[in-house]
Amino acid sequence: MKNLLAWLLWLWISAVIVGAFYYAPLAMGFLGESSRILFFHVPMAWASFLGFIAAAVWSIRYLRSRNPAHDRAAAAAIELGLLFGVLATVTGAVWARIMWGAYWNWDPRQTSILISLLFYGAYLALRGAIDDQDTRGRLSAAYAILGIVVTPFLFWIVPRITYSLHPEPVINAEGKIEMESRMQHVLYASGLGFAALFFWMHDLACRVAALRERKPAP
Amino acid sequence: MVTGGIGWVVAVNLIIWTGLFLYMLRLGKRLREMEKEK
Repeated sequence: MKNLLAWLLWLWISAVIVGAFYYAPLAMGFLGESSRILFFHVPMAWASFLGFIAAAVWSIRYLRSRNPAHDRAAAAAIELGLLFGVLATVTGAVWARIMWGAYWNWDPRQTSILISLLFYGAYLALRGAIDDQDTRGRLSAAYAILGIVVTPFLFWIVPRITYSLHPEPVINAEGKIEMESRMQHVLYASGLGFAALFFWMHDLACRVAALRERKPAP
Repeated sequence: MVTGGIGWVVAVNLIIWTGLFLYMLRLGKRLREMEKEK
């Protein structure tokens, strides 16, 4: 059953890749084919956000249950959030090079994602600095819960209150979606595909961490 | 020319995605085996 779901996901994301290049039209005001990066860059940023919020939820569950599995789930979610965040930053930088002439411009969007990556990078440093499992779990859970305030601010609020060269968010400042319908189909399908991929990777990462903890230290 | 270029980009994307997918499938299988051993 799990294998069948995995193959369905393979088919889904493969269709997204083909759709991004052959079904969706080019967006107006973008150079060449550069607008197609949107179908991967935006879902990667969404998956990153999902990871950081999921980590906060698992951290709350850890503080209530003290179940180490919840602590491992929170840490894995942040690691994956960072992975997708770095990928979103890199794809954004490639797009910025085409559109703005430089990979890095200190645009509010670029700066806010960099701050979130540093914030969660510090989470990993915090975990690495504490040996005692319970203390590490409690402190890192408190830090990840703080992310519930920091992450939506950096991902959703900063881009809407500052002047930026970055294209408008999917839901713009007026609360409207002004995107061609075929582009929307591919973008939402890609978002769903990346969310499913995130949960699959998360399941694998948690199982690897559980096996590592059970293995006696050399 | 443009279609040919896009075709290559699609092919490279599909190869990377299929490689990642097969790796994850194999990792899942290996983990199931190790969980049974434990």
